[in-house]
Amino acid sequence: MRPRKLLRIARWEVTKNAGGVDKRTLAVAGLAIALIAVLAPAVAAQGAVLDEGIYRVAVDEDSRYYDVVEENPTFVARPDATREDLGESVDLYIEDGYVSPAASPKGRAAKEELRSAVQAYNNEQLRQEANQSAAFPVSVSLEYREQSQAGGTLATDGEDPQQVRDPDNRSDNRTGDGTPVDGNGSNATDGTDGTDGTDGTDGTNGTDGTDGTDGTAGAPNSGGLGGAGSAISGDGDSVDSPSQLSPPFPFESLVLAFVFIIPMNFLIQAYGSTILSERLNRRGELLLVSPVSRYEIIGGKTLPYFAGAMAIEAVIAVGLTYVGTGTIGGLVSIAAILPLVALFLAATFVGAMFARSFKELTFVTVTITVGLTSYAFVPAIFTDVTPIALISPLTVVVRDLQGQAVAAPEFLFSVTPPLLSAIVLFGLGAGLYREEDMFAQRAIPLKVLDALAGPVRKRWHVGAMVAVLLPFVFVLQLLAIAVLFALGEVSIPLLLVVVAVVEEIAKSLPVYAAYAHKRFERSTVSALVLGAIAGAGFFVGEKITQLAQLVGLPELAQGQAALQIAPTDVGAPILIALFFLPLLLHGVTAAISAVGASRGKRAYVVALGVAMLVHLVYNLAVLSEVLGNV
Amino acid sequence: MSKSRGLLDDVRTTIARREIASLSREKTIVLALLIQLFIAAFSSFLVVGLTSLYDPSSVEGEGIRVGVSGDVQQDLNETAREVDGVTAVEYDTQDGALSSFDRGEVDAVLVANRTANGSRIDVTAIAPEENLRTTLVVVKIRELLTEFERTERDRRSVDLSFQPIELPEDADASPYFGFTYTVLIPLLLFLPPFISGSVSVDAVTEEIERGTLELLRVAPVSLVDIIDGKALGMALLAPAQALLWIFLLSLNNIAVSNVLPILVFVTAIATVVVVLGVVLGLATARRRQAQLLYSVLVILLFGLAIFLPEHPATTVAKLAVDSATLGTYAHVVGFSVGAALLYAGARRYASSIDVESL
Repeated sequence: MRPRKLLRIARWEVTKNAGGVDKRTLAVAGLAIALIAVLAPAVAAQGAVLDEGIYRVAVDEDSRYYDVVEENPTFVARPDATREDLGESVDLYIEDGYVSPAASPKGRAAKEELRSAVQAYNNEQLRQEANQSAAFPVSVSLEYREQSQAGGTLATDGEDPQQVRDPDNRSDNRTGDGTPVDGNGSNATDGTDGTDGTDGTDGTNGTDGTDGTDGTAGAPNSGGLGGAGSAISGDGDSVDSPSQLSPPFPFESLVLAFVFIIPMNFLIQAYGSTILSERLNRRGELLLVSPVSRYEIIGGKTLPYFAGAMAIEAVIAVGLTYVGTGTIGGLVSIAAILPLVALFLAATFVGAMFARSFKELTFVTVTITVGLTSYAFVPAIFTDVTPIALISPLTVVVRDLQGQAVAAPEFLFSVTPPLLSAIVLFGLGAGLYREEDMFAQRAIPLKVLDALAGPVRKRWHVGAMVAVLLPFVFVLQLLAIAVLFALGEVSIPLLLVVVAVVEEIAKSLPVYAAYAHKRFERSTVSALVLGAIAGAGFFVGEKITQLAQLVGLPELAQGQAALQIAPTDVGAPILIALFFLPLLLHGVTAAISAVGASRGKRAYVVALGVAMLVHLVYNLAVLSEVLGNV
Repeated sequence: MSKSRGLLDDVRTTIARREIASLSREKTIVLALLIQLFIAAFSSFLVVGLTSLYDPSSVEGEGIRVGVSGDVQQDLNETAREVDGVTAVEYDTQDGALSSFDRGEVDAVLVANRTANGSRIDVTAIAPEENLRTTLVVVKIRELLTEFERTERDRRSVDLSFQPIELPEDADASPYFGFTYTVLIPLLLFLPPFISGSVSVDAVTEEIERGTLELLRVAPVSLVDIIDGKALGMALLAPAQALLWIFLLSLNNIAVSNVLPILVFVTAIATVVVVLGVVLGLATARRRQAQLLYSVLVILLFGLAIFLPEHPATTVAKLAVDSATLGTYAHVVGFSVGAALLYAGARRYASSIDVESL
């Protein structure tokens, strides 16, 4: 790869309108984006009243509820409606201070909504009272502490990775628990925080000791973004009315996530167009026959978009850091967003190499947008809850913006899979960047096979190809964990199904592609050998998943199920067996599907199904064994 | 005679049919439906998943156990009996409660003490960290303490000039009702028009960039016919998909009212964005430019719609949930008329273009 050639292609891409966008378009787009930026606050405010006028309420003007209904945009007051109209033109009927809902889901929802509206209205009125201690007699400071014997889903201390959610068992353990445990000071407070509340040991007076907790325990963390800091980080909360308590739901982090993701969606539109337009009317042939390698062409065409995207993201990251903390920073955020940008571009590149028409490209781009946004997004929801959040690089960004430190292993765990995936995607796409594929109208599945079979010349190449696919397997499985994990215990068998399907496809597809391209002779012996190679390739690559152990993902029962990490508390022979059992499994299942692949499409599909089934049975057996040991 | 030739023989319908056929041949329409299904499932998952974190009934067994201590612990305990899903356990000392918490015997600890002058009650609430149950525990603590605040406020009511309005009792409503009608349904119904608009950009620019528009010109059709055909195909695809979503929602026991006005409205929206796409395609003749402008302008238009008396998303929500007002129907009519006018304008624009120049 010669940088000078690459840069020249990059310069053409920007200046010669080979891929760039003319000034008129830029001006209109710039103006529109500026207008959107101006509108954004108004639109955000509108979001809250999306449910404007959804519920209709029959309420007299002299009723106390009238003001509530009037002030809340969700409701429409219908003072003239009668009881007969209930369920027809009104959803709630209020008479003499009694609220009757229509006998429908809508009526019930309206009543529930009225309940929270009344609460908000009361609080608002009480704010204006002169005697605030009578209006809000209870003040609360909320702290979060670790439970060393966590009975929930997570064992945060890492001692006991096999712990699963088992509420029934837990309640059995304390059936005779009517008598409270007496406080004999069994070093329960593990000193995680600086509250002074513990001095009220006798529990009867305690009045003077607790006064100070308000200030110390619940102080919102300083690194947060504006006043929302404490809500984001879940470090604690101090409020003068219990109704203001908020659970640790990182709404702001979702908004931040969108800010980073949205520019990417515009960018990949243009990038996809530029790649696909090379393929129209054999336009790209000129570059292909010129004395530059395809890597230089691809690099040159991608560089401006990558640089542009990183510039935009860097401005966002530095800007948000400045707004949030008042300092110049955000380097970690920029580094964390880089693999995501690369992944967006790489997926679009492959999509543009696959697409046969602009229309198809549009759908491919939308698919990429949706898929990658959810990959970045779903885990980030759990930013404060569990280590699962680290699956998404956005979590690193959110934490960095909040001024929290991100440890190096966590950072690596978060960014490595998308970065590797991006590299692999570019590699596969580059395999298609040649005359036969660029200018021919081939169906997408055939092109996928082309891409996979392209570099395969020798048998061991199949194993290497399988190993190369692992980042995808990893990303898909992580995404599945994030998506399914909220379902609780049901998620584990579902995950095993996902694991079996994804892994078997990854192992067998390169073999099938090689056969489809007549790379190897179609005999059973050769198929068995290829299968064994593919299985071994997968096994070697899979050991990368040990990376997951660095951040404690295996402590999650779901993480275990997906990644098949061996327990650490068994004897050496079993450990060795558990280490090599997967090799056997991958070899066997890959051989099954390879034999099918050597006999044509239909046999391949059947054999693949069998392989998935074997894999699933194995996983279930191992899982029940592992869980049974506990 | 011209009437009996029928709609199907018209060149415009032929082009429209070909447009739709090309979508189904490339199976992109399947991909489009899958994407929409994924988005719907994804957003539902978000809400259902997150709500279930908050939802007490999603927790098996007796709900949460709260250790209470401090000088008003008895009052707290009495309040807890009236709140569903919360069991209070009294502890003599705070340390006792905390060690129970540490052993996982209680899910949270509340230490409630009167302030020095006795006018207020300070509660220190301790919830488990980094646990899926945290959200639920906090929600339950909030419920308990809000109830507690109400009782305490009642005791001090002589000092208040405003007497709080009594809360209507719990209605046992589906927590997803509002979300379904105000977010999910508008999302599902607006996605098809937006995708249609984007595809109509492609339909126009692809003919131009590939040079196949030349070939169409040899055939006895005008540019306006071509545009008519392409726009017709795309604009009609949107309400068809909308109807599919409404049907699928009804299978899930989500009733959608006013189906016909909704379909008219979706068609009108689809026409507006398809006109935008076609005009951009003709004006720029390049997909890259046209798509970029299209996506930016659609977002801008959607944002600008807040200045309408009713946002289109609200219009759909109100129609679907059967709370439509006269204004809502006026909106539907207004959009339809506006869409028709825009379309007429786009045809005029197309007829003024010299095809040679594209």
